[in-house]
Amino acid sequence: MIKGIIIVNNHGKPRLVKFYQSVESESLQQNVIRRVFQQVAARPDSFCNYLEGAIPEWGDNIKLIYRHYATLFFVFAVDSQESDLGILDLIQVFVESLDRCFESVCELDLIFHSDRVHYVLDEIVMGGMVLETNIHSVLQAVKDQDRLHKDSLTRVEATESASHIQQRLGGDTSKWQYNW
Amino acid sequence: MATGGLNLSSEFFQLLKAIGESKSKQEEDRIIAKEVARLKQKMESPPSNQTGPQAAFTNPKKLAKEFLVRLLYVSMLGHDNSWGLIRAVEMAASSSLFHKRTGYLVCGACLPPDHEFRFMLVNQMQRDLSSPNVLECSGGVLACTSIITSDMVPAVAGEVTKLLSHDSATIRKKAILCLQRFYQLAPEVVTQEEMKKHVEKALCDKDPAVMGSTLNVIESLSLENKALFKHIVPSLVAILKQIGDRRLPAEYDYHRLPAPWMQMKLIRILGILGQADIVASQGMYEILNEAMKKADSGINAGYAVVYECVKTIVSIYPNAALLDAAAEAISRFIQSRSNNLKYLGVTGLAMIVESHPKYAAQHQLAVMDCLEDPDETLQVKTLDLLYRMTNPVNVEFISEKLVHFLSQTPDLFLKQVLTDRVCKIAERYAPNNAWYCKTITQLLRVSGDLVQQEVAQNLMSLLAEGTGDDDEESDMLLRQTAVEMMVKQLFSEHAGALPKILLETMAWCLGEYGYLSAETSLDMLLEQLCELAETRSLPITTRKCLVTAVMKLVAQAGTCPPAAAAVIDEYTRSKDMDLQARCLEFQTILTHCPQLLPEIFPVDASAEDVQVDPNLSFLDGYVQQCLHQGAQPYDASIYDDDDDDDDGYGYGGASQPEPSFKMTPYEKPQTPAQAMMAMAGAGQLRSAAQSISLPPGSGGGSMISQPKADTTPQLSLNTRNVANVWGKGGLSQAPQPASTQTPTTTHIPTPAPAPSWGASKTSVSTPKAPELPQKTAEQLERERQAAALFGGIVPGAAPVPSAMSLPVPAPVPATPAAPPPPAPSAPEVDLLDLSIWDTPAPAPGPVVDSFDVAPASLAIVETVSDTEDEPVSVPAPAPIPAATMDDPFASMMGGLQDEPLESFPAASSKFEYNGVPMAPLQITTAQFGQQWGNCAATTPTSVQTTMNLTALLAKLEEVGAHPVEAIAASNEGIAAGMIGGAQLVLIHGRVTGSSVEMTIKSTDTGIATSLALFLSSAMR
Repeated sequence: MIKGIIIVNNHGKPRLVKFYQSVESESLQQNVIRRVFQQVAARPDSFCNYLEGAIPEWGDNIKLIYRHYATLFFVFAVDSQESDLGILDLIQVFVESLDRCFESVCELDLIFHSDRVHYVLDEIVMGGMVLETNIHSVLQAVKDQDRLHKDSLTRVEATESASHIQQRLGGDTSKWQYNW
Repeated sequence: MATGGLNLSSEFFQLLKAIGESKSKQEEDRIIAKEVARLKQKMESPPSNQTGPQAAFTNPKKLAKEFLVRLLYVSMLGHDNSWGLIRAVEMAASSSLFHKRTGYLVCGACLPPDHEFRFMLVNQMQRDLSSPNVLECSGGVLACTSIITSDMVPAVAGEVTKLLSHDSATIRKKAILCLQRFYQLAPEVVTQEEMKKHVEKALCDKDPAVMGSTLNVIESLSLENKALFKHIVPSLVAILKQIGDRRLPAEYDYHRLPAPWMQMKLIRILGILGQADIVASQGMYEILNEAMKKADSGINAGYAVVYECVKTIVSIYPNAALLDAAAEAISRFIQSRSNNLKYLGVTGLAMIVESHPKYAAQHQLAVMDCLEDPDETLQVKTLDLLYRMTNPVNVEFISEKLVHFLSQTPDLFLKQVLTDRVCKIAERYAPNNAWYCKTITQLLRVSGDLVQQEVAQNLMSLLAEGTGDDDEESDMLLRQTAVEMMVKQLFSEHAGALPKILLETMAWCLGEYGYLSAETSLDMLLEQLCELAETRSLPITTRKCLVTAVMKLVAQAGTCPPAAAAVIDEYTRSKDMDLQARCLEFQTILTHCPQLLPEIFPVDASAEDVQVDPNLSFLDGYVQQCLHQGAQPYDASIYDDDDDDDDGYGYGGASQPEPSFKMTPYEKPQTPAQAMMAMAGAGQLRSAAQSISLPPGSGGGSMISQPKADTTPQLSLNTRNVANVWGKGGLSQAPQPASTQTPTTTHIPTPAPAPSWGASKTSVSTPKAPELPQKTAEQLERERQAAALFGGIVPGAAPVPSAMSLPVPAPVPATPAAPPPPAPSAPEVDLLDLSIWDTPAPAPGPVVDSFDVAPASLAIVETVSDTEDEPVSVPAPAPIPAATMDDPFASMMGGLQDEPLESFPAASSKFEYNGVPMAPLQITTAQFGQQWGNCAATTPTSVQTTMNLTALLAKLEEVGAHPVEAIAASNEGIAAGMIGGAQLVLIHGRVTGSSVEMTIKSTDTGIATSLALFLSSAMR
């Protein structure tokens, strides 16, 4: 099970916090975030992307699996049921989905549209379990919501056209990772 | 940023900006506090009155939504937002789906688990769940997973269950996960049986996404109950095959790999279901092989699938070809340049190496690389691997690495784990005693009080009792080495800051054998110890040990230097009663009859026996004299409470004859707490048997009257390792030629006594890896290290270390781990020898009753002998026939000696595990009982058969176990066997007439379960 997902920037400021296994209090939650950041930030990018047994609030044998993109750390805390490399790629899927939602996502998007980031994440992970790994389905679900959002606000927003997404899908996905 | 104009109010924008620019946590807190005040104020006034400066933000709904996002933000930064959550609840009831979701999102993220607002949302969720709008419905399901608590499950479970047959696949895939969540919360509402039904249906869903999310549920459920989904193994295999054949829509591809996450989950589930199930496992072999080959496309997701395959292959019933393929994959991981893959490689190797040590051999240099990697995660994993592959040959190298790492890591939890591991391998595989002393001393220094007390106790017992081969000279040499090591510690800087367990051990060691130090005089030692004993920062128990050491040294030196006198004088005013009494008594003896000191603190006698005369015959004269003078004769009925009268006994003088009372628990030194207590002299214990205050103990229970070195057969420290014959033998599943104690045998090619060696096609045969023709000095050094590491795994790879120059005792020990145990021909040491009880001898030492720590150790002798006498008194449980002496490998085989290869044709009747047949283990019922608790894996099984007890035991013998005892009275039989010389198998069977109830215990789970299967099929 995925116990929690934390996105934190290079200075330790949380950008998204999602706890699937809740911890008791808000201060404990802050502790977790702080400790996760401290451990992850101490590791150069050349190190492997795993950290073991680090978060007592979530129990023993918790593994932190993280990826570092430019200014942000995406950290997934998982138990032994999840595949190490699988989660790494799942982070990639998540980031790729965000990227397509926001068109070249950057840290500011996460700040100003934190609710939307949550919605994207909700389409990928649900209740600590991997719901969907297919980027197309994720994007479709988010898009459907955007449409409704539009309708309900009777206000037209600049959303990505389908062709636009299609174009990006065909593009090289390796470049954008570092292109925040 | 895609969404162009920020849909934010300027307030929020300013807030985010300010937070982004804040330099300190305090500043951030101030900003948030201001924000909270603003939000509170806003909340109170109706939203319609709010008009932002921007025209676009006049929409009250929009503002309300932003309000919630700001709440979320406040909470993410760790501030209380409970005052505004009611707005989130309101918002969840909004007719706008987007707002509804925002409301749910904030509620799910911020409401504490037992908050009453959660109940307010139930109605809303119910409505949403039954909404015809797919998105509303989907939002409802999502909300359920994050908001529902266990008491609310019944209210929505029905609705969610209905959604399992919803038209939209999006809903179906969410509903099944949501139900799993309910099942976790309230298994009595959503039962396992129901879940099973739902899962079976969802797995066959026409949309692959639903199947994909269902796999999560299957995995969780099968972890709880393997039997639940055994029957779907063929379906899972079929699905995996279809995915492999690219039957899924192309959109499930990830980097051109078909649905890697589904593959991973499927393979994982197969691994769970195939555990210890031959039939199920056999159905998987082919697809695993196929999946592994297909996934190997050089991308991460592919490696992830391959790695899952490896894990599954190791966990299911073994298949040689697949294991080879798995090892091959591991070897590529471990040699990869990516640390992530290396990590997987090391983890994978650690999984496979315990049961299949041969696979480790190829990776010497790669493992060395990982060990030296600056990445701590990788290092820790590698240390874990090393621990698992420790054997007698590489133990020195591995423990050195572990100790080195210990001295550097600040992680306490990790330290504890590693410390225990060093202790374990040091005790199990110590090549010689000097090494053992050195390692444990180092460990005491770096890990301090994380080391178990018994380890220190073992070290002291070893020093006190010597190696047990009656070689006084080598014992003395060992003691001298230990003393020098301790002296070094004592004179190191900040000796007062050393861990207390090290100080206590040091105090004992120097007190007993300080005179052996060649470099330091007794005076210097005394001076330093006195200084240390006065260190206030040390706990009193430690200072007590130090004071005791000072006393011993004073006795040995024959004079009391002023410093020592001052220390002792000071502690006569100690608050600690025991210490105070000791010091007062010592002072008294010192001033009145100093000639007694050498007798109270005899030199090198801590392991000697002391005889106690329970009849107190030495008092006879005195009693007679008193009687003559008209005293009343003693009437036991009056004085039968054992309170105060013992002061009157026992101190008749030093005229006792043959002392034979054992003071030290030297037979199986595993009662640490008490033993340490004896050392610390904390016990004022009285002998329960005779209510006699026993002779004064000097620290380590060493108040002994007369040395009698030659009469008591000494036991080696390592005899306790005899137990390892049936303990877990580490890597010794296959015989290890290099670990033979006779150097000449090292390079003899393995005559294939075990199939796994014969099959080892890739073993590197010398430390010099052939693929590296040009070697720098550094490379050579690393290879040397690698060779040290892999010694004992690669045939002939490791030179026999110098440690092996130990004299080879006549019978080769049954375990490769144990240094020579006492020769079986030697007279058996009867550790139950409590004959002292009736040997008349008065206690030595006058008027020093409060030194009576000795009874503490006495008590230990008692308890230990009650429970754990057997393995010590029997030198080797499976005495090896003399014939095996000619074959150096036979000695490595442990209990396997009569199981050569030719027995394979008859394999049908013999139980084999991974190709290694079970060998009978000749043990006694008592040993059986003792080992029973040591075997972690238990598999009960019941077989319908009319077999009687004799037939059962005959059958067990046929299978390869040694029938230990048949208890006709209760129709029970026990048998024992051994696999690979390391894994112990214990079988207990009860015959009922219509069936046989068996409990199979083993040190290895795999063995226990497969033997249970084997037996039940063999006996039907």
